[in-house]
Amino acid sequence: MFRNADSKPRKQRNDERLFAIVAIVGSLVFGAGFCFLLFAMNNRENNPANEAGHAVENSKSRLIPPDHPRQLVNFTLTDRTERTVTRSDLAGKILVVDFLFTSCSLTCPAVNRQMAQIQQLTANQPDVKLVSLTVDPRDDTPAVLEKYGERFGANTNRWLFLTGDKSQLYDLIGTSFLAKDLDDPFSYMPGNFSHTERIAVVDSHGHLRGYFDGLNQNTASAVVEEITKLQNQTL
Amino acid sequence: MKTIAMKGSTLFCILVFTHSVLAAPSGDDSATKSYFARGMIEKIAPNLRQVTIHHQAIPGYMMEMTMDFNVKNTNALSGISPNDEITFTLVVDENDEWVENIHRAGQSTKAMTNKMSMQMDMAHGLMTSELKPDDLLPDYALTTEDGKQIHFSDFRGKALAFTFFFTRCPLPDYCPRMNNNFEETRKILLTDTNASTNWQFLSISFDPEFDTPAVLSNYANVYRGDDANRWLFAAAATNVLADVAQRLDLMVMRQGNNISHNLRTVVLDPQGRIYKQFDSNQWTPQQLADAIMQTARLSAQ
Repeated sequence: MFRNADSKPRKQRNDERLFAIVAIVGSLVFGAGFCFLLFAMNNRENNPANEAGHAVENSKSRLIPPDHPRQLVNFTLTDRTERTVTRSDLAGKILVVDFLFTSCSLTCPAVNRQMAQIQQLTANQPDVKLVSLTVDPRDDTPAVLEKYGERFGANTNRWLFLTGDKSQLYDLIGTSFLAKDLDDPFSYMPGNFSHTERIAVVDSHGHLRGYFDGLNQNTASAVVEEITKLQNQTL
Repeated sequence: MKTIAMKGSTLFCILVFTHSVLAAPSGDDSATKSYFARGMIEKIAPNLRQVTIHHQAIPGYMMEMTMDFNVKNTNALSGISPNDEITFTLVVDENDEWVENIHRAGQSTKAMTNKMSMQMDMAHGLMTSELKPDDLLPDYALTTEDGKQIHFSDFRGKALAFTFFFTRCPLPDYCPRMNNNFEETRKILLTDTNASTNWQFLSISFDPEFDTPAVLSNYANVYRGDDANRWLFAAAATNVLADVAQRLDLMVMRQGNNISHNLRTVVLDPQGRIYKQFDSNQWTPQQLADAIMQTARLSAQ
């Protein structure tokens, strides 16, 4: 036979109740604190340059390492002057790479203003090239990219805007540069690339060095610092 | 049919991919490399030693093309015939290149969701999900300006022109131009006495939280005037958008209250298949009207 809980003395029941309440409240407080700690740590780790926010940032721009080692894969694409550009055309160069679609009216212009600054700051460095990869080749033909490049004062030899076959572009972006985020509630696009607002730096051996937040105003100078480091390493 | 086949292939993707991950020697260390791929059988040599496959892009290895491949184990071709859509593994070593693990795509797959098929496509970097003319558009659900749920299949029997926008869109040559063009096109069709009458316009918002039915119908009336004849406004839920983006090459990036996006306008034939796609904002109402009339007329015959 089960002993009915009501058959316990009242005092004991009250004690049990008190203990239960203390235990529940205690574990709630502890759990909340723990979650907060996790959240805070997570935020600190993942958010060195406010990647999540899309407002233009003013804090220090730091190198964000790649999620795993990435290398520049082979590709055959077309630049805005209709020249064919392959991986070997860029061999031995330090590359500064960003991602765009020309109808993107918010983040992309901010990122390309950083690219324009980087072009200026590296004007006399022939071993540095800038590359903008479109994620929207159906719209972004060489002619459209030509106009877009002019808007940012891009030099046709130093800053390449590449378009072409979508699967090649996406293979290049997905393999050599950007991770995918299938559950990003803020962005829907074929390829599901995450952090399209980042500017990537590739060393002269074709290894992805890392990224900088393209929406951070200090990114241009941080990228140039990183380029200097790479140049000193190869000397 | 095609979507079922695609879903089928993705199940095999999972099976084959899992299998090859378990079985494959770890990529870079050994001289042999395996690539997972998809394609269609064009020809099988009588001795079963060679097969011609039109394959999709093999990420990191080669672009989409038609190629002859060697077959080492001829059992790999049992049950496979020309025109079969297949998944396969391409193995490459220092001196040789051959295919194995050939499986017919498109069996026993009703349980696969679009999301899963999309993830598998993504995992392999394949572009299978982008629709081309004659491909059937999945039967997405939308919420209309009346607060009702509709599906694309509700418009079967009509040529359906749809485009994407959001009501807070600040750029006059983007969303407003799309809806202005729709109004112009509708005028052309309504005044053309030779035009068939089985057509419909649909403007779809990708901002479902803000663009509630009330907001939509207010906005709609600015463009439609008093005449809602054959032009409906609706909003797509985020999970629908995630899939639509893959199929129609649509890009939508949210930043606070604003959205960066490209422009995609599509005409479906009366069977719900892609008839024509108008990209960007350079197309004219007359071009859209012509496309609608052509496909509407074809079905009326």
